Amino acid sequence: MATVQLVNIKKVYPHSGETKKRKKADVSEKKTNLQITDEGVVAVQEFNLEIADKEFIVLVGPSGCGKSTTLRMVAGLEEITGGELYIDGNLMNSVAPKDRDIAMVFQNYALYPHMTVYDNMAFALKLRHMPKAEIEKKVMEAAEILDITEYLDRKPKALSGGQRQRVAIGRAIVRAPKVMLMDEPLSNLDAKLRNEMRAEIIKLRKRIDTTFIYVTHDQTEAMTLGDRIVIMRDGFVQQIGTPQEVFNHPANLFVAGFIGMPVMNFFDAELQEEAGKYFVSLGGIRVELSAEKEARLKAKGVKSQSVTLGVRPEHTDVADTGILGRVDVAEMMGSSVHLHITAEGRDVIIIVPTVDLEGSFNMGDSVHFTFNGKVAHVFSKEDDHNLEY
Amino acid sequence: MRALSDNAKGKIKLTILRVIVYAILAFLVFLCLFFFYLMIINASRSNAQLATGFEILPKEHFIDNLVNAWNDASINIPRGMLNSLIIALATAVLTTYFSALTAYGIHAYDFKGKKFVFTFIMAIMMIPAQVSALGFVQMMNKFNMNNSYIPLILPGMAAPVVFFYMKQYMESVLPLDIVAAARVDGSGEFRTFNTIVLPLLKPAIAVQMIFSFVSSWNNYFIPALLLDKAEMKTVPIMIAQLRSADYSKFDMGKVYMFILLAILPVMLVYIILSKSIIKGVTAGSVKG
Repeated sequence: MATVQLVNIKKVYPHSGETKKRKKADVSEKKTNLQITDEGVVAVQEFNLEIADKEFIVLVGPSGCGKSTTLRMVAGLEEITGGELYIDGNLMNSVAPKDRDIAMVFQNYALYPHMTVYDNMAFALKLRHMPKAEIEKKVMEAAEILDITEYLDRKPKALSGGQRQRVAIGRAIVRAPKVMLMDEPLSNLDAKLRNEMRAEIIKLRKRIDTTFIYVTHDQTEAMTLGDRIVIMRDGFVQQIGTPQEVFNHPANLFVAGFIGMPVMNFFDAELQEEAGKYFVSLGGIRVELSAEKEARLKAKGVKSQSVTLGVRPEHTDVADTGILGRVDVAEMMGSSVHLHITAEGRDVIIIVPTVDLEGSFNMGDSVHFTFNGKVAHVFSKEDDHNLEY
Repeated sequence: MRALSDNAKGKIKLTILRVIVYAILAFLVFLCLFFFYLMIINASRSNAQLATGFEILPKEHFIDNLVNAWNDASINIPRGMLNSLIIALATAVLTTYFSALTAYGIHAYDFKGKKFVFTFIMAIMMIPAQVSALGFVQMMNKFNMNNSYIPLILPGMAAPVVFFYMKQYMESVLPLDIVAAARVDGSGEFRTFNTIVLPLLKPAIAVQMIFSFVSSWNNYFIPALLLDKAEMKTVPIMIAQLRSADYSKFDMGKVYMFILLAILPVMLVYIILSKSIIKGVTAGSVKG
């Protein structure tokens, strides 16, 4: 029930003596491309985001991209090195976590092991000196929503992983916080449970109606849960948009590759501009881009050049003519076949629906494929950005 | 057939190995318990009987020795036990609490000079009590604090060994996300420590309380330098006093009885606290 504003947020972990030494030692085998400056390791920078009241924002990115750090800065668990954080218009930079009226769900649950489920959930309310009867009412309500009423007397160790995560969520929702923060809450659960809990979070969100900031590295979670998605990499925001926007209009090569399963196919291609029309040509075919795309490219004054072309597997069609490829693996998924082929020196995946598929694909078969100008994304070879934007 | 005989051989080998292991264990148990037994036996013998040497069976003077020791004119055993109990209990409680607090400070917070502080505390561990004793006793005399409980309790609170043990224990059982969760839940730093962290440290606290209690209870060196008033004296000093009594009053039976009385509280504390030394207190808190 609050707006959250992050203005130019920055986080730098200062060097300790040790990291300075380490920095010299393994520059070559760094895990990520985080910037290392004289101040220290820059984990997050230039983070600008306005979160509307009751919005569900998902921060997504590979590990080490700064998404959890950003969340912890909103929670007050990490100091903000630079920039301003506002919750409901109030500057929060130096406000203690307990005074921010936020609740947080941790990846590893972080339950109090020596307390019962009831006490775990009631802890925050007791600290606020709420009358006993009211605490009980709130805990029972939350327990009912999460279907954990029968476990209230148990200690966390007597619960399964899914139940523990429900308790952790319960502990957060009893408080009816202004902002609900979730740090990869589902990543410790097995695949089936994760899908169930994901659906539960969607339902939960309808019931408790507050502002959510949710961190995940799983693009499926991001797509299904978020009103808007913030895609991060190496401490920088790559793109902010609705799931549909980031899927249909990726801002750069990274976003295009990160969002969507299986990942987008990339080719080296030529973008040709002829009298206001744009074509991409590769592997002997030439495809005209859609009018929309042409208009955007024209507006940006894009010239003919070599580009990285991106086409999603579900938008690539097997045809009689087109780009030639050789089948490596055909994965039968039931409703479709995922065809892994090698074409133009790249690994390409094509999703072929099984509905009107005749025969089967064998290793080594030659296939031709093509794509529509509406779904082709052209990225700059120089800096990987989408040439349309 | 051949396989069977191999099997039989293996069994015999295992049995022999077991016998050897049990024999060694039995010997160790004997070494540990024999002297306790001897003490109980000796507490039941009169001074004259004790002079005759080693006995394996108890004698009839147990009650006599108890009455004699309890009513000894030169030393006040009940008072001594009370003094020792106050000092040892206070030391045990304060040492473990403040060491855990210090360890928590180093474990859970990031601050400049954290490494230096840690090294400094560890360095103190290397200084034996005897080195600083002289200065300490002089200082206490200047403060007029000899014959007081305070110099026997407060300095013990700064216990690097206990601190180190607590820190190592925290590293294995205290996930910082629990602390973060408590903070977000609205708990202040001290409340988090007292209501969330301390209960998780229970096994470590129990172990260190036993150690601190025992070492404080047995401490002779500093109390001997500081305490001279009769009503302030602790058990080890009284035992020494009893042993060094002049020839006419010397009663070894009384000494043994007093020693027996002196170890009872230690055993009691051990029995009470050992129940808390259970594993897996944090089980179920965070995903392992």
